[in-house]
Amino acid sequence: MKRREFLATGLAATSFLLAPALLRGALAAERPVTFYGVKSMSGAFASYGEFADKGSRLAIEEYGALLGAKPKYAIIDTESNPARAVRKVQEAIQQQGARFFGGCTLSSTALAVGKEVNKAEGIFMTPAGADEITTTEFNLSTFRWTVPTYGAIHQTVRPLFESNPKAKRWYTITPQYVFGEALLTAAKNLFAQLGIEHVGNSYHSQQEQEYSGYLTNAMAANPDVLLILGFGGNGASCLRQAANFGLKKKMTILLAWTQGLDWFQSLGPELLEDVYLGAQYWHQVQTPLNIELVKRVKKVYGINPNYPLAGDYVITRIVLDGIAKAGTTDGRAVGKAMEGMTYEGPTGTETVRAEDHQVIKDYYLLRGKAKSAMKDADDLAVLISSGKSFPEPAKRS
Amino acid sequence: MLYAFQVLNGLGLGMIYFLISVGLTIIFGLLNFVNFAHGAFFMIGGYLCYSLVGWTGSFWLSLLFGPLFVAFAAWLAEKILFHRIYHLPHTFHILVTVGIALILQETTIMIWGPVGKNISVPEGLQGVVTLWAFAYPVYRLFLISFTIIIALALWYLLERTRFGALVRAGSESAEMISLLGTNIHRLFAATFALGVGLAGLAGTLSAPVRGVNPFMGVEVLGIAFVVVVIGGMGSFTGALLGGLLVGLVQSLMSTIWPEGASLMIYGAMAAVILLRPYGLFGRA
Amino acid sequence: MLKDSELLGGTTPVVAIALVLLPVVLPSAALATEILIFALAALACNLLLGYGGLLSFGQGIFFGAGAYLASLAMIHAGAGFLTALATAALSGTLIAAVVGALAIRRTGIYFVMMTLAFNQTAYFIAYTLDEWTGGENGLLDVPRPPLALFGATLADLGSPMSYYVFVAVVFLLIFVATKRVIASPFGSTLIAIRDNEARADAVGYNTKHFKIVAFAVSGAITALAGALYAMLLNFAPLENIQMSENIVILTVIGGTGSLLGSLLGAGSWVIISDMFAEVWPRWLIVMGGALILVVLFLRGGIWGGIESLAERISSKKGKPG
Repeated sequence: MKRREFLATGLAATSFLLAPALLRGALAAERPVTFYGVKSMSGAFASYGEFADKGSRLAIEEYGALLGAKPKYAIIDTESNPARAVRKVQEAIQQQGARFFGGCTLSSTALAVGKEVNKAEGIFMTPAGADEITTTEFNLSTFRWTVPTYGAIHQTVRPLFESNPKAKRWYTITPQYVFGEALLTAAKNLFAQLGIEHVGNSYHSQQEQEYSGYLTNAMAANPDVLLILGFGGNGASCLRQAANFGLKKKMTILLAWTQGLDWFQSLGPELLEDVYLGAQYWHQVQTPLNIELVKRVKKVYGINPNYPLAGDYVITRIVLDGIAKAGTTDGRAVGKAMEGMTYEGPTGTETVRAEDHQVIKDYYLLRGKAKSAMKDADDLAVLISSGKSFPEPAKRS
Repeated sequence: MLYAFQVLNGLGLGMIYFLISVGLTIIFGLLNFVNFAHGAFFMIGGYLCYSLVGWTGSFWLSLLFGPLFVAFAAWLAEKILFHRIYHLPHTFHILVTVGIALILQETTIMIWGPVGKNISVPEGLQGVVTLWAFAYPVYRLFLISFTIIIALALWYLLERTRFGALVRAGSESAEMISLLGTNIHRLFAATFALGVGLAGLAGTLSAPVRGVNPFMGVEVLGIAFVVVVIGGMGSFTGALLGGLLVGLVQSLMSTIWPEGASLMIYGAMAAVILLRPYGLFGRA
Repeated sequence: MLKDSELLGGTTPVVAIALVLLPVVLPSAALATEILIFALAALACNLLLGYGGLLSFGQGIFFGAGAYLASLAMIHAGAGFLTALATAALSGTLIAAVVGALAIRRTGIYFVMMTLAFNQTAYFIAYTLDEWTGGENGLLDVPRPPLALFGATLADLGSPMSYYVFVAVVFLLIFVATKRVIASPFGSTLIAIRDNEARADAVGYNTKHFKIVAFAVSGAITALAGALYAMLLNFAPLENIQMSENIVILTVIGGTGSLLGSLLGAGSWVIISDMFAEVWPRWLIVMGGALILVVLFLRGGIWGGIESLAERISSKKGKPG
């Protein structure tokens, strides 16, 4: 090599190698139990990760000694990308001996991370939406806090219908992918059971921004209730445009699966007024733990807890409790300890079902409040009903 | 009846798409510049609308100042950055503007947070017009009428004024304009500001319909390019007819085969590029 | 400039040294493996962009196809490691040849839009065929079988380090092979087409033919990278197809027209995203800024910058007195 080439090579090598060496120093292994928060801090789901991270942090901070030392917290940014998430989880397992993980809002990320953690015989608890986590893709390591699609439909469609039995004609708007299909199937089954007439369904793609066409379809069917099965951005756009098209005055609108408070805040009372909303968590629920949680979160973060925050708070706590109960950091033993565990959660008494690792907890039906009726900025909805509905646990394979 | 209404709805949607795309085509037409940050500027227009409505309480003020601010920012960016890369191949335009779009998207998250925002429909334009069994929002009617006015004004500007004549001549031969003694740099900067300002205007006008979120730019960019390519890049009429076509297809598809809507739109674009490289209404 | 014709000289030893050092200095072998996989994808993109002047926003198609098809071959047809990789490379070649044959009928922005349209179409197909691809949830339980040839097991790739070693060997082979391709008459013709297509056409080259072959080669390498990624993660997510923009960005930042640049681009992207993700989630701003700076001031990317820096230093030292 010529000298210039040699210099270039040397410079390249140095610049390339310097950075990771620094990175490595920062990531030395820790003695106390470390809980790894797998959160979408950047990318398209950053809105979720920010709160989820706050929840896990709080749970760790307020936890006392665990196996003789205060537990630690480490964050893994999924970059809202399942592939990067899996790779970083692999790395944590290989390099730092990580065993305890919690988080992932995106179903694909949760499913893949769960598999990875299972291979390492660790524990992974998630508030993700995919029913597969506790059914077809069940594994010994993965636990799920979220009420499945079945429960979300039963705890929203049924109470709404029972309070208003004349609303016989229902129209559905469904995002076409696994999760949307699961909600739709559950809804169809329940419609048949309750004698509701399903007057039509529109599928839309998950990237859809423009709902006027589907709303026009819905108008043509002239239903009593419009059931919107999209959530997040899908649900927000669909509801906003439904309100624009005057559908709120013509029919009752129900969104079976919403993200809760932070999502409500982004829409505002004008859109939400009189709309029925399904939710996994609501800060106004008066359960012993929730009253405490609201106080703590207000004090520490100055906000009311929302679903991502409360969800990741509780999954973090349950995993730590499981470790304490098992008295060891052996993942399989902790998993065993968590199975059947009953505890006071944000939604009241919650139980980890041993058969499929599904947490049995309440799901809520809320109704959006008028601006004039709100007592504070977050008093966006009133609790209509709550309850537990779960399908029979799937057989373990 | 349903189809008739979907056609009406599609035409309305088409006008919105025209507004989203027209700035892109103007900039391409004169400057031969490909702006992959178009969607990001649209998003900024929407967010400015959100903030200005919050500060002033008036949608109308935000409709005036939001797009003006975006246009000014674009003018500045043109002076500093973009004019340096006009002469480079399209590839470099794309890379630079992808960089700009990334920066705008992340800055938006820093300023306004990652959660989307809602913008209320302005007072006086709330409510719906009822047609048979169907309802159509008054705001969308306003949006369509406003877009028609903008389209007419643009047409007048481009076809009947000295500025327009220069722009059109400039798209044929930049040297000729320089020979005529016109400051070509000012003309280019003004056109750039106009095109990007239109993106901002579209963002502001769409905000009450679609809300805003930091990632909306990507989707808007896709639609804008599809419209412009189908219509013919650089063609004003092309953007109008392309927009209407895409709007119609999308609206009808939502009744016929909703899952395939985006496939149809991109498929149509690919077909147009292969069969009529300069678009349905473009000139070679 | 380092000569491309020196197959085992020039930049090759640099790469070989880097491959040995990467897993040592990086926090994990998984991270090092990811860098090499992205570097392969960047290398393939570079072949099109840096040497052929073709900006493809469709690289995600080949990456995704490679991941899916290798995985499906293993899951449903019981294919072994090498068969799965061969399946990926072959399908990548075919798909890229078709996409390329259609896209190269136009140039400039129209070419780019064609690749984008194909990318959208591929995404839609993968999303719709969820019985095969797992749709939104991604394809789970992708195996990583041992490396076997004619029934004889050569190596168990189960451990992260052994898998890294395998990927590193693949990377080195492809790096050298690509250099070879670029140094061949095919490569110089490709460069001639990039620099002046009309002239190359006039000289009598079938420029379309050359571009399609470039696409096919690029597709094969990208698909191979996708397959390796699926085996690394035991998972093939739908997001693979949306990698197109990232692949282009890291190629450009690393340096177009230099294969070593692709490794640098991939390395800096992965490392920066890892480092910043925890400290400053808005790290994409850095990437956006870098992209602009590279186009404006440092057309050769990181590698180009290092080269000119080295040139300055050596010319200073070279001056007498």
